[in-house]
Amino acid sequence: MAAGAMLRGSVRILRAGVPILLAAAGFVAAAQNPRSAVTSPNLDGVYQAIPNGTVLPGGLKNIGSPGDLALQPAAAQQMKGMSLKDDPAKVCKPLGPFRMMARDRNKIELIPSHGMIVMLFEDLSHGHMRIIFLDRKHPEKVTPAWHGDSVGRWDGDTLVVDTVGFNDRTWLNDSGAQHSDALHLVERIRPVSGGKYLEYKVTAEDSKALAKPYTYTRYYEKVNAEIGQDICEDEE
Amino acid sequence: MKSCFVTAGWKFALPVILLVCARAAPAQDKKVSATHLQSETPDWSGYYRLARGKDLGDFKPVNTDLDKAIIPHLQSWAKAKMEATDGVADDTGGVCLADGIFRYPPFAGSFIWLTSPNKIVLAFTEINTAGIRRIYLNRKHPKDVLPTWNGDSIGHWEGDTLVVDTTGFNDKSWLMSAMEPHTEETHLTERIRQVDNGQMIEIKSVVEDRHALTSAYTYTRYYNKNDAAMPAENVCNDEIAEWKEWRNKALKKQYDRAHEVK
Repeated sequence: MAAGAMLRGSVRILRAGVPILLAAAGFVAAAQNPRSAVTSPNLDGVYQAIPNGTVLPGGLKNIGSPGDLALQPAAAQQMKGMSLKDDPAKVCKPLGPFRMMARDRNKIELIPSHGMIVMLFEDLSHGHMRIIFLDRKHPEKVTPAWHGDSVGRWDGDTLVVDTVGFNDRTWLNDSGAQHSDALHLVERIRPVSGGKYLEYKVTAEDSKALAKPYTYTRYYEKVNAEIGQDICEDEE
Repeated sequence: MKSCFVTAGWKFALPVILLVCARAAPAQDKKVSATHLQSETPDWSGYYRLARGKDLGDFKPVNTDLDKAIIPHLQSWAKAKMEATDGVADDTGGVCLADGIFRYPPFAGSFIWLTSPNKIVLAFTEINTAGIRRIYLNRKHPKDVLPTWNGDSIGHWEGDTLVVDTTGFNDKSWLMSAMEPHTEETHLTERIRQVDNGQMIEIKSVVEDRHALTSAYTYTRYYNKNDAAMPAENVCNDEIAEWKEWRNKALKKQYDRAHEVK
């Protein structure tokens, strides 16, 4: 009989990656101020990406793709050397917001809470969870993370999300485009067509890897459905 | 009641206000924190961590050693399977893959509690393994529920207590670290309430499985609210090769003790 480790739990506490503690004051202050969750557009709901090629009322359609971004020569050379076997998608790892939000049929859930909006993904292993803080700035020293550090503000009916502090583990696209620690994402998220759809525009800047900033647009349909539990169960 | 109306504001229709306040009143009488945002669901949003030691105060968890609590309830086939199971190779949770919700929450559980219309969402810190739980407050279990790691959870309020009923588990996870198996018939009932003036959540759990257990086992845990310690990101298993090497060394030291308990 091989032993089932009775004390496995103690290991599990320690092995949990690198927990990144937030600036305490920021969250506490946010928790005491639910203003932003009350007065801003209520984005609560489940949304599914519409397929490329679909034209919505008003001519709205997906524009661009992470596969089209232009890399600096050194970054392009680096991409050529990447093995697709090392794709984070193949080992149940997060893909990062820039790549994840462009995925076909991506399904997300937005939950506003005190001083933050939480974004959950049906494809849990690849999308994971993002927390967008509404009542604080980026920490002066950001610990690099898979999803970076996201802060948001409302610009009219548009949630503007600024994210920095990425680690170097994610790819920008399916071809293995790498990014640097200078990656900076600005996402503009707003309800359109009376809230039936969500417009998502993201611009990636990276002075060390991208030849120029790149923007793509996706539309997500608000669906009256529950979000599933799509958990990556094994390394592919 | 005054504070309740202030919280509800003028946006809510009168019937909703009355409903909200009627539910909130008894909770406040018991000094249970219950602010309300969008619906009648008490807003317990925040980050909670399993309470240990002095953080427990006068509250006492029940069955803290869950392996000891579970094993006497195992049916013979389940005990045989447990004894034949490799605690390393067959433990998906040990390599940061999904392992359901029976082990992490009562042993090391920490989670973000989110309130959404018609449901409560628990996002576990170890999202790779314990994942997300959604407790639906406005429906019954589907007739043909697709078995999943975390099952299908529905909840209702009994006074200040959220009663959660979960079925529809797959049989891929283990009940605890000794690799105690269960079947798709597993039924989890939880009674969840705020205690300590809203600074703690108490979860009393009952696990039944007519095909794997001779009778139900129970446990109670307490979780401290600690928003300041909320992790923004916790991706398990950053370096899988390093992790596996470290894990194997760590678990090797635990084998002897595991054998002793069994």
